Amino acid sequence: MTITALPRDRRRAKVPPPIVFAFVLIPFLIEAVGVFWPAIQGVGLSFLRWNGIAPAEPVGIGNYVDLMSDPIFLTAIRNTAIWIVLFGGISFVAGLGVALLFQSERRGVGVYRTALFLPIVFSLVVTALIWTAFFQPSGVLNTFLQSVGLGDLTRVWLGDPDTALYAVIVAALWREIGYVMVLFIAGLKGLDPSVMEAARVDGATRWQRFRLVTFPQLRSVNLVVLSVIIIDSLRSFDIVWAMTRGGPFHSTELLSTYMFSTAFESRALGYASAIAVVIFLLAIAVIVSYLVRALSEEKES
Amino acid sequence: MTHMPRRRLAALGVSIAASALLAGCVATGGTAAGPAVGEDESGPLVLQSRFTDAEKGGMEQLVAGFNELGEGEVELNSIPTSTFNAQLPTYLTSATPPDVYTWYAGQATRDFAEQDLLLDLSDVWESGMGDFSPALRELSQTEDGTEVFVPTGYYWWGVYYFKSDFEKLGIEPPTTWDEFLAACDQIKSQGVNPLTMGLSDNAWLASAWFDYLDLRINGGDYHLDLLSGDESFDSPEVRAVFDEFAKVLPFFDPAVLGTSHNQAMSDFAQGKSAMYLLGAWAQPSVPEDRRDDLAFFQFPIIDPDVPVAEEAPTDGFIASVKSTRPQLAKRFLEYVASAEAQSMLMKGQQGTALAANPEAEQTLDELASQGKEMLESAAQVTQFFNRDAGDALQGPADAALTQFIAQPENIDAILEEWQAAAERVRAGS
Repeated sequence: MTITALPRDRRRAKVPPPIVFAFVLIPFLIEAVGVFWPAIQGVGLSFLRWNGIAPAEPVGIGNYVDLMSDPIFLTAIRNTAIWIVLFGGISFVAGLGVALLFQSERRGVGVYRTALFLPIVFSLVVTALIWTAFFQPSGVLNTFLQSVGLGDLTRVWLGDPDTALYAVIVAALWREIGYVMVLFIAGLKGLDPSVMEAARVDGATRWQRFRLVTFPQLRSVNLVVLSVIIIDSLRSFDIVWAMTRGGPFHSTELLSTYMFSTAFESRALGYASAIAVVIFLLAIAVIVSYLVRALSEEKES
Repeated sequence: MTHMPRRRLAALGVSIAASALLAGCVATGGTAAGPAVGEDESGPLVLQSRFTDAEKGGMEQLVAGFNELGEGEVELNSIPTSTFNAQLPTYLTSATPPDVYTWYAGQATRDFAEQDLLLDLSDVWESGMGDFSPALRELSQTEDGTEVFVPTGYYWWGVYYFKSDFEKLGIEPPTTWDEFLAACDQIKSQGVNPLTMGLSDNAWLASAWFDYLDLRINGGDYHLDLLSGDESFDSPEVRAVFDEFAKVLPFFDPAVLGTSHNQAMSDFAQGKSAMYLLGAWAQPSVPEDRRDDLAFFQFPIIDPDVPVAEEAPTDGFIASVKSTRPQLAKRFLEYVASAEAQSMLMKGQQGTALAANPEAEQTLDELASQGKEMLESAAQVTQFFNRDAGDALQGPADAALTQFIAQPENIDAILEEWQAAAERVRAGS
């Protein structure tokens, strides 16, 4: 009481009405019960051995130790890294590329933009169905290769461990590029045209204009796009599950699919929670490190 | 005094949050409850059924039949199989679970019984299931001999083919492994895939090959020991299984890993692939105009000295120990076991299952009589890989078998990893 007594008078005028607290507390409670608490419990579960039926058994960091020597987990880590680099990298570069190409209002450009954006309206499971048909042993791709005399290249795209992961990445990219394009077009529209005009007057080449004028101005959009891409990469699950279920023999296993099959097929809920914690830490680490860098750069400039 | 509401609100918020957090706690402790005794609560008995639309009809009739008797009301919830399988442990461990469930016999049921989650159904067995075969009774019991399962029906597995296709190819259904390999060779030389499987979405189908090869080479006892963890997948016996598996690999459609089960079925129905090792459940997915042409033969005998064992997966019912209507549940299950009810249930299953009650009236078509005869002449029956080993071991088996199909030369590493993965699953779950 004595401590609070001092600033009381100064604050009194600023205390918001109780209804404001209700507006803050109720969503917070819903979030706490629905999101934060299960997440914290997930961390707690990761220190247990539990199949959902028998009593749980505390194993300390045993699950994490086991993860380190689990070949499927290591495959999943490797595949997730490949996924982030290829899926993330290509969708960033290609999304930016098509955005630059289609940013200016020319006749017919809307058709291209729409065509690129269209895949987003399909649910991922439908996307997976379309691409599964495309990659089938006697599907569109193999039939096409046969007909143009490239029969040697035909393969069981989704059934061959050497190609399955890349085939799924192609399907995921088909959707993501349009999304990234829209984000970049929005960013490009917000740039001040007079800066570009000045660069042109000064005789900057096309590449110089992009590298030194356009791209630096897109920093805030880049931040959004990178976060979106990394989060999308790490949560990629549905398209892989619908196309290959992580198979053949774990060759397309991502951390997310491995977590799911461990939890709901092998019923090792503690072990699956340990994988979930790893995914969470990865996502946080990547995003925080980027945010810190981006913010410090912003401060400098 | 204006600061008081704020502090009170904060205190209120904290206490609400704390109690919400406590209430939201996942119950990870044991869930055993005392045996259900005494009066039933009022209200209908809830039946969770995993059957798909095709099989739903028989179940609905069964429930309607019981409700007409006026002994109580049963409410049927039909749930897609994969959801049901994933949710069942959650149902059974919840505080107020549904009362009765459709389920698989064998380890799949014993896993729950070991945790005291299932209602003791020995009363039901005592009161009117004396005619059931001793094998089915044993299958319905826990380790200590208590019945916890009421079987409704079972089915057979066989190597399916079309009679007209075999005629065209000049093939007689083989009975021994050598004849089988020779037939495969002859079919392949005519430009037809001898064998197919749809593994891209149903990798578990490969386990049928593993099960049968192991049953034929090492026998049923070894097979069950292996699946229950007493033997190792990385053993000379299992190696022998894969030696024989390697002999048939060249006869499979080279695209099995990228082929869906539906695609494989349609290749089979169109004569692009000649044979498909399947359970009776697959029969209805053959186009109607070819169904009369469909036939199967027993999985060929490899070692005549090994007693013949067959897969006969058995389906039936279990009840939750926490059911608040145990008396009604038992009355319903008595009805389920009756000849009348099982006749009705089998009628709804398009001839793809055999009634567990020997008194049930069932018009058997050619395939069903052949299946029944085959199972009755078998020295031993097993369930299926996931039912004998427990569902959690299906994943490692799928990985090992599909990898073997793609890279048979890596057999050493594959078997070592299979055993390691099985041990991980057994330890972790």
